[in-house]
Amino acid sequence: MPAPRERLAVRLTVNGGPVERVVEARRSLADFLREDLGLTGTHVGCEHGVCGACTVLVDGRSVRSCLLFAAQLEGASVTTIEGLTPAEGLSTLQEAFRACHAMQCGFCTPGMIVTTTELLADQSAPSTEEIREAISGNLCMCTGYVNIVRAVEQAAAGRAAASGASA
Amino acid sequence: MPGGWVGRPLPLKEDGRLVAGRGRFVDDLGRPRLLHAAMLRSPHAHARIVAIETREAETLPGVFAVLTGAEAAARSGPVRPLIPTTAVVPDYCLAVDRVRHVGEPVAAVAAVDRATSEDALERIRVEYAPLPVVVDPELAIRPGAPLLYPELGTNVVWHDTLTYGDVDAAMGRADGVLRERFAIQRYASTPLETFGGIAEYDPGTDVFEFWTNDQRPGLTISILAASLGVPQSRVRLSCPDIGGAFGNKRRPAYLLICALLARKTGRPVKWIEDRLENLTALMHACNGIMDVELAYRGDGTVLALSVRDIADEGKNLITPTQHNLIKLGNIANGYRIPAIRYEAWSVLTNKCPSGANRGIGKPFMCFAIERAMALLARRLGLDPAELRLRNYVTADQMPYTTPPGAQYDSGDYPATLRLALERFDYAGRRDEQARARREDWLLGIGIATSVEPAGTNLASYEIITGKRAASGSAEAAMVRMEPDGHVRVALGDPPSGQGYETVVAQIVADELGLDPEAVTVARGFDSTTTPWLYLSGNYSNKFSVTDVGAVVGAAARVREKLLRLAAHRLEVAVADLELGGGAVAVRGAPDRRLSFAELARTAYADVLGLPPGEEPGLESRHAHQNPLAKPVDAERRVRSQLVFSNAAHCCLVEVDRRTGLVRILKYVVVHDCGRELNPLIVEGMVHGATAHGIGAALLEEFRYDDQGQLLTSTFVDYLKPTAMDVPLIEVGRLEHPSPVTPLGAKGVGEGGAIPGPAAVANAVEDALAPLGVVIRSLPITPERVWRWLSRGADSASPAR
Amino acid sequence: MKPAPFRYARAGSLAEATALLAAGHGETKLLAGGQSLVPMLNMRLVRPAVLVDLNGVRELEGIEPTPDGGLQIGALTRHAALAASPAVRERAPLLAAAARHVGHAAIRNQGTLGGSVAHADPAAELPAALVALDAQLRATGPRGTRVIPASEFFRGLLTTALEADEILTGAHVPAQEPGWGFVEIARRPGDFALAGVAAVVCSASDSPSRVEHARLVGFGIGDRPLRLTGAERLLAGAALDAQTAARAGAAAGPDCDPPDDVHGSADYRRHLATVLTERALLQALPRLPRRR
Repeated sequence: MPAPRERLAVRLTVNGGPVERVVEARRSLADFLREDLGLTGTHVGCEHGVCGACTVLVDGRSVRSCLLFAAQLEGASVTTIEGLTPAEGLSTLQEAFRACHAMQCGFCTPGMIVTTTELLADQSAPSTEEIREAISGNLCMCTGYVNIVRAVEQAAAGRAAASGASA
Repeated sequence: MPGGWVGRPLPLKEDGRLVAGRGRFVDDLGRPRLLHAAMLRSPHAHARIVAIETREAETLPGVFAVLTGAEAAARSGPVRPLIPTTAVVPDYCLAVDRVRHVGEPVAAVAAVDRATSEDALERIRVEYAPLPVVVDPELAIRPGAPLLYPELGTNVVWHDTLTYGDVDAAMGRADGVLRERFAIQRYASTPLETFGGIAEYDPGTDVFEFWTNDQRPGLTISILAASLGVPQSRVRLSCPDIGGAFGNKRRPAYLLICALLARKTGRPVKWIEDRLENLTALMHACNGIMDVELAYRGDGTVLALSVRDIADEGKNLITPTQHNLIKLGNIANGYRIPAIRYEAWSVLTNKCPSGANRGIGKPFMCFAIERAMALLARRLGLDPAELRLRNYVTADQMPYTTPPGAQYDSGDYPATLRLALERFDYAGRRDEQARARREDWLLGIGIATSVEPAGTNLASYEIITGKRAASGSAEAAMVRMEPDGHVRVALGDPPSGQGYETVVAQIVADELGLDPEAVTVARGFDSTTTPWLYLSGNYSNKFSVTDVGAVVGAAARVREKLLRLAAHRLEVAVADLELGGGAVAVRGAPDRRLSFAELARTAYADVLGLPPGEEPGLESRHAHQNPLAKPVDAERRVRSQLVFSNAAHCCLVEVDRRTGLVRILKYVVVHDCGRELNPLIVEGMVHGATAHGIGAALLEEFRYDDQGQLLTSTFVDYLKPTAMDVPLIEVGRLEHPSPVTPLGAKGVGEGGAIPGPAAVANAVEDALAPLGVVIRSLPITPERVWRWLSRGADSASPAR
Repeated sequence: MKPAPFRYARAGSLAEATALLAAGHGETKLLAGGQSLVPMLNMRLVRPAVLVDLNGVRELEGIEPTPDGGLQIGALTRHAALAASPAVRERAPLLAAAARHVGHAAIRNQGTLGGSVAHADPAAELPAALVALDAQLRATGPRGTRVIPASEFFRGLLTTALEADEILTGAHVPAQEPGWGFVEIARRPGDFALAGVAAVVCSASDSPSRVEHARLVGFGIGDRPLRLTGAERLLAGAALDAQTAARAGAAAGPDCDPPDDVHGSADYRRHLATVLTERALLQALPRLPRRR
């Protein structure tokens, strides 16, 4: 039976690469990513799971990294905004955000990209209402969401056009 | 102008890094041997600090220093106010003998990490003797109220009446006077990134260095230097990317605390506010009460306006009266009102300090005025749009000076409203509303219009302080062509999402005949390399009215020098040259051309090739002050804000008759911010600011109990609008350039936040009009709507 | 906002989890989805000495159809899984609907049925749905395993029938009647409900539009999910139509005991309960089996 520990080793995969660290039990995944791994693209906005700025993918699903402890992630696979950005350039979704000016200060943006990545993986052609609902757990204080919705629609249409073109 | 970059909806350079998570915000920054701070905060709204014991905290492993108010007062000077009212009492960075709001910092700890610092906070013992609490501003004004500062003998930091024109005579000859009391709640823009900074002290050079998302570095540097007792030349402050500011990102006291901890520990100290701290203790917009009297003729012409304005400042000795002044400066709201009286109180209570917020007071002012206009229209049986059209300052009256001294520079307010009504299909919506009423659905239409000023003339503070310390509105910029011909720009105003890196590049690109790709605008701010003034910073919508002038001026000087260098080398007159495509060429002889890189070589390297008397280098620093700013005159009139955009909002809401839930079905904004430097940025600003207005109208409220405890201190309880709460905001535009700014642009950052609350409130009231409901306060919660629907009567007295 | 220090252990089995919980002497908290617990940890509102992570306990996983036409659902089942599961949508659509209403996607991906039920927030969706579905909850501890009907499980504000050393392992949901409705109202979608109603309507076999009995469970309107028995009595034996639904709604008020807080007063919540009872019944109406 495992003895409860205040510090423990954790091995996980982050953005496709193996990571092994010793962490304090109370170290949040958000702080672990940002401070222990230097992946500062994930942002902290509230630490109580409401604002969505800290959203990352764990085993392919969007979760609040401020509400997970790094210690829990043994064997898990984490994808952050850094892992969703290609080595060169931007993804289709990111390019749509850029073209539509779907951000201003950029603080909510990584969380928005993670959330909308999951949305478009689940639904190839979400309606405007479905997009609004999907991002309703990500607060933005700058854009009023209008351009973010446009960007997601554009990205979905772009993917549809691309897959149509290749069909 | 060749290039024509200004005016294009160019996608933003900075968006490329932000969307990839490559922004660098202050919490992304580190320093070697960095320590992390946490703040111990008062649980009481008002109490004496009897004793404070830190021994146990100091000895916790991982803790490097504990700082109390007593030590802070011994090692630093008080924080200098921005608006030094007569009520100047020392306000140190930590509470010394008394706490005056829940969350006020009492002590600070620096430790190896934030978690350890927070562990240490729990080991600090503070003995408090609670004092009576005052949270209601009207009670705080009365004699006998608990006093935040007994040495002042009052909680009223300012009370004055300013009268412009014969208000009483106008009231006397009016056909009627509409009298109404309005209230607004406490709320705040709450940028998603919280406030914070790193402070480091180098004992070798005796320099304090700060990295922070403070949005007014010019002001903050002076405060930090004065409090730390060091010359400003030994304070360095830089700003990285800032995750939204809206006025809230400024609390030098926290940076002082970090500086003191850094000096004490010999290590750099970082403190980042958490969300509870942010909502509890950073900055709220003033709540308050406005009693409005609107004198009118039977045809709806407004003859006079008299306002009593109580601004609840919380515990704010730094910028009290700011909301009052801004309201005073904008109170005519685009209408031709010949006589205006403004009686104001700025009053302290045991709540979070007030401060700048998107719109600073104008949302409330606009709520009160536009609500009064809506009520007047109903009283006179006039269409609310028609009433406004009868009262606007018209385009042919521009420039128009309002009684308190604001000068509207240009704009066509009637045309703005008409276009909004057209885009909204006002007539069609009224038909829709009539049909809905027959089917027992509640649809409401709300109109609100406002002016949107840009820039703040600090001379206006003289109305409060009686003397002039700072004045005018200005900004500084540097344009430097590097030895390779590329251009670097630095601006004294650190952006927080307004796209300066792109729009400034567009401006410089036009000036110098370059592609914006060849212009790099430095991220943020660095006091050692960015030119700056005390007035520098991100506030009051000032970009278009000061920053642009600084950039254009600096770029123009570089342009002129390039021409002089080329004229010298090509042996022609400057008038024979043209500049474009990254080069200077002889007009009509394009082969006689010198690239910028070639000219830069002369300027920086081959300096013997310079014209006689010409200095090496291709760099210019220029500061621009807006020429409209003037001192307060003998009649106490002043242009407190300088250049005026305007907008009209039209809002269609549906009210669920059973539950009181309000849904916005359609929202149209037509705005005029003069020349749009980058329409993509402008439209984004309109969307975002309008969302702030919707949040204030329907969702956001900092609620306190009568003991000054904040009941809404997390994002679970303080409700921000989500993507389900903000509708598609349709934006139309007019462009009446300003005759007084270098490129004709006006302000746009605050816009939608100003008439938004009034538009939504007018719409909900319109939906409930058959019931005779009058909406006097915000937010409009579903429960309040339900109570109105149930009782069918006037709403209760305004909430605090 | 960092938690007070704690020690962490990841249980590999239910037996390990039970043993760790027992060894903690009341200073141990169980971590499932963490969507309710971790904010409290971050704000130092709770300060356990030990956190036992249940997320590796396989015995707590799974959605299994049972011979009675119902489902056996493991406590670790995520809200998102409940909402998406074909078996749940078919056999207990009320539960799938309730799960869809929880928070936002990221919360649903991580939050669990067991966590929500054990935490027993009075405004939570799943506890009310399980009461409406007449579910049986299973708990395991040092004294063995026992079954607790959902109707007896929720005792008060954040208080359940679980002993301090027991772990909720799952729920058995019987086959759900076809007539059901689920509605809630919140300040914003995804917020805690101001009020909500989970309704199951059983119609008489010989007369499909006649209500044999109904289970109407309100949430957000008391310190736990509350049966709206006044409305239920009114419905028994009645024909369900718009008028009956309205009358039943009006009868729901007295069974509520709502809180007063910054989001709504008791009166308002009580009023919402009457409206939502009616609306839930109107949702159920077209789902009742038709007369053949």
